[in-house]
Amino acid sequence: MSTGIGARVQRKEDKRYITGKGKYTDDVRNESQAYAAFVRSPHAHANVNGIDTSAAMAMDGVIDVLNGQQLTGDGIGNIICGWAITSKDGSPMNMGAWSALATSKVRYVGDAVAVVIAETQALARIAAEAVEVDYEVLPAVAASDKALAGGAALIHDNAPGNLIYDWEIGDGAATDAALAGAAHVTELAVTNNRLSPNAMEPRAAVATFDECDDHYTLYTTSQNPHVARLVLSAFYQVAPENKLRVIAPDVGGGFGSKIFIYPEEITCLWASMKTNRSVKWTSDRSEAFITDAHGRDHITTAKMGFDAAGKIVGFKVDTIANFGAYMSLFSSSVPTYLYATLLSGQYNIENIHCNVRAAYTNTVPVDAYRGAGRPEACFLVERMMETAAREMGKDPTDLRRANFVQEFPHQTPVIMAYDAGDFGANLDQAMAAADVAGFAARKAESAGRGKLRGLGYSSYIEACGIAPSAAVGSLGAGVGLWESAEVRVNPVGTIEVLTGSHSHGQGHETTFAQIVAERFDLPLENVSIVHGDTDKVQFGMGTYGSRSGAVGMSAIVKAMDKVEAKVRKIAAHVLEASEDDIVIEGGQVKVAGTDKAMGWHEVGLSAYTAHNLPPDMEPGLKEGAFYDPANFTFPAGTYICEVEVDPETGVTDIVQFTASDDFGTIINPNIVEGQVHGGIAQGIGQAMLEQVVYDDDAQLVTGSYMDYAMPRASDVPSFSVHHASTTCPNNPLGMKGCGEAGAIGSPPAVINAITDAIGSNDLAMPATPQAVWNAIQAAK
Amino acid sequence: MDMSGSYRIGAPRQAVWTALNDAEVLKLCIPGCEEIEQTSPTTMTARVVQKIGPVKARFNGAIELLNVNAPQSYTIKGEGQGGVAGFAKGAADVTLSEDGGETVLEFEARAQVGGKLARIGSRLIDAAAKKVARQFFDNFHDHLNGKDPPGD
Amino acid sequence: MTNVSMTVNGKAVSREVPDETLLSEFLREHLRLTGTHVGCDTSQCGACVVHVNGKAVKSCSTLAASLDGSQVTTIEGLANGGLHPMQQAFTENHGLQCGFCTPGMIMTSVDMVNRYKADGKELTAQAIRGELAGNICRCTGYHNIVKAVEDAAAKM
Repeated sequence: MSTGIGARVQRKEDKRYITGKGKYTDDVRNESQAYAAFVRSPHAHANVNGIDTSAAMAMDGVIDVLNGQQLTGDGIGNIICGWAITSKDGSPMNMGAWSALATSKVRYVGDAVAVVIAETQALARIAAEAVEVDYEVLPAVAASDKALAGGAALIHDNAPGNLIYDWEIGDGAATDAALAGAAHVTELAVTNNRLSPNAMEPRAAVATFDECDDHYTLYTTSQNPHVARLVLSAFYQVAPENKLRVIAPDVGGGFGSKIFIYPEEITCLWASMKTNRSVKWTSDRSEAFITDAHGRDHITTAKMGFDAAGKIVGFKVDTIANFGAYMSLFSSSVPTYLYATLLSGQYNIENIHCNVRAAYTNTVPVDAYRGAGRPEACFLVERMMETAAREMGKDPTDLRRANFVQEFPHQTPVIMAYDAGDFGANLDQAMAAADVAGFAARKAESAGRGKLRGLGYSSYIEACGIAPSAAVGSLGAGVGLWESAEVRVNPVGTIEVLTGSHSHGQGHETTFAQIVAERFDLPLENVSIVHGDTDKVQFGMGTYGSRSGAVGMSAIVKAMDKVEAKVRKIAAHVLEASEDDIVIEGGQVKVAGTDKAMGWHEVGLSAYTAHNLPPDMEPGLKEGAFYDPANFTFPAGTYICEVEVDPETGVTDIVQFTASDDFGTIINPNIVEGQVHGGIAQGIGQAMLEQVVYDDDAQLVTGSYMDYAMPRASDVPSFSVHHASTTCPNNPLGMKGCGEAGAIGSPPAVINAITDAIGSNDLAMPATPQAVWNAIQAAK
Repeated sequence: MDMSGSYRIGAPRQAVWTALNDAEVLKLCIPGCEEIEQTSPTTMTARVVQKIGPVKARFNGAIELLNVNAPQSYTIKGEGQGGVAGFAKGAADVTLSEDGGETVLEFEARAQVGGKLARIGSRLIDAAAKKVARQFFDNFHDHLNGKDPPGD
Repeated sequence: MTNVSMTVNGKAVSREVPDETLLSEFLREHLRLTGTHVGCDTSQCGACVVHVNGKAVKSCSTLAASLDGSQVTTIEGLANGGLHPMQQAFTENHGLQCGFCTPGMIMTSVDMVNRYKADGKELTAQAIRGELAGNICRCTGYHNIVKAVEDAAAKM
């Protein structure tokens, strides 16, 4: 059976997971392990006038209780946002100070003010309860529009009016003029609901300070251990990079929430030094709801203008983004360069203007969550297209087709240059698979049973494979977003690939091995993938933004190019042939057209024995490469959702969900389809179930799985997933990204379907039975 | 959360008023009250254990009487810290009116919870508050009629 | 402290533990069987499911002391060498991604198939979805988990 590109290879990593032998951060336990528990604010906004730790310190088994004054006193730096956004008036963004432990003020429910280090986890938690904090409660605000309205509580002194930035993209005057001359203008107000990522593995950290070597080791639930080390070292001054090893072992899902470097990791490292003990912290789910960065939370109004033929002439968007109480690592880029740059959708639109205001509120910090900005853009564009089609009495697929970008490359007015795609092919494939032709009959059949049936489309595009370093640098990013790889051929011919991409469920140990096994025509088991440890892998930018394939695997290809060049030279020398005549196949390195050959392992051995190498060649067979992508990649496709609504109760069943995606080259269809399934389920969760809710006092009231509705098996259907691909011209494998598409494309398809079924367009996410029922009643 | 109610208590208004201002009586009648101490004619400190859904917490709190208009009405305001469970605070306007030899007590209360109580127990607060209020008034009525609730 | 004795994965174990020790804690911290995971604190997610006397139980909401003398099977002990058909089906059908919910999913699913077979009931895809109400997966969208359970049910 083939194990190469395109083969449905079973995952190499599965065995340890299905037998309970996976090693996650909370499974790490050091000798004489100490445990941390955080003292967290129950108030959304308060001055901290004093902390009395005497009762906690007096408890048997409590090692220390540490606070923010001590932390900052030891020179631990503030947590930063790594992407600088400039307001339209030229002023820099207003970033408020964020200390890992609050010093004088708490700004959201969950803000940590102190940490207890104790001999057991239970004791640490009990002692944390005994720490008495003198809070002076201040007025609080949870909603972004209220935070920006006059009179709201001021959250950071250096952000007047709670405004972080007021940014714009596109030509406002030209867009206004286009809308003024439009034959039809559709207006839409949408809210993109706040979500909690909820990777099933709660975050954890085990920090160990070694006094002898002045060295730290951190096991942590991270999607990007090297970025964690860089930031912990360069910005938070925990330790120099050569004195800090960060290991992300098996990581139980991330969805963006494990990109960021949080107060807990910083505190555990510092506390390990302070107490000279290994310090472990494991979040429970309640803590996760108030510490893991939330996602989305946009309030948007928009206008789209059309000419008499239905061509889009202009699109004007105004968005308020809720950032929570502090600016998390990539927060600033999410509602700007990952959102507004995708507002052209799959369409040829000459004039686009978007204004984004970012607001501080007394809520958990908001940052990238699966899709990060692109789901918000897609939801707006695709709700807009469906709404406009209904208003103008056009078929929604006809309206889309009339506006599809047809020629590539295509430069949008909002930075992005789409490199390849065939949007019509995806729409055709999805419509055929969903049997759109038979929908009218199914709708009539449903009506016969008193049910309302609806069909909704979403033709999404996203930009991933993040990202060309120079391009993101020019837009304010503080880091480059290349990836690195090292391919080591051992003396016996087996191969280790060290990659800066990190797998937290994506199956890199399998897909990365597939491209290596195919390239050198070796058995899959001869290739091992090493990742997640800064002592083993030199550097890497990690896994997010659907980048591990397009960027991470491209780096491996580049390193393999170098390995192959050296293999050819060695073989040509040993076999006394021309390098150009060397072919690598079937575990052998051969001279084409002759019976001269050497085993692949013999080339490895030659490289290391170095008895007979070409003059001036260094021994060994190990090559590294850094790959910086030339462009984003642009996965696109069409999703079609079909629902049946019970008008008596508002209960909505998704009876069919069809996806046609263009991901370019697919290495392992099992894994790609799995990514799509999971992404769609999260999108359905956003559309129908999930919402983080704060009350008027900025108290979080959805703090457990009793109140935050996670999609369960019976909430989602089986999915019909298809591929119609164009090759990405900008990377060696022709890959696009598949990790986020499902979550980006699906929410508008669901809402378009439900609104189609109930005949009312006024329906916000999540479309719970109550919301659907209310919409039906309001439309009567 | 807002809540209002009206209870008929089988005792004269003056007796009801006196009892409502008596820390010992309040201790007996407030469900879960472990300790209450009068610190001035209009202030008390209290320790109360409450269970709301899965969250059980011991609240250390302060009670203050405002707008006192003996023996007709007052506003009772309380604030309690429940450690990691969070906090609860609230106020109730209480009015007593005479009706024959009995007293009609009417109240309008506003309450707010924070921290873990809000995150995990918010759905259950209304029901829990109503239950506590009903128990309190049942106990209070019984106390004034010579039947004290069993202590716990 | 309480002495808790039980049989775990076929081996007799006995430990002196605090009275309030949960079975999940007993397994993870006292026996170092870390295949049983804890994904929530309100007994909703099911990552912690093990078998107690042959039935699926959420170990995060069961006191270890209450199970004195019980037979407990965890994911580590599900198969005697080799793989259980359910484990095999999860990997063959790509029914897992990050693997964190997987032990609980597999233990729940084995119990599910056993019960349906014992009752002579047909285990439809819809029934599987309903039976998985107490197990949350954030990665797979459940599609391949349902396929895996159907596949294993045919082989068990």
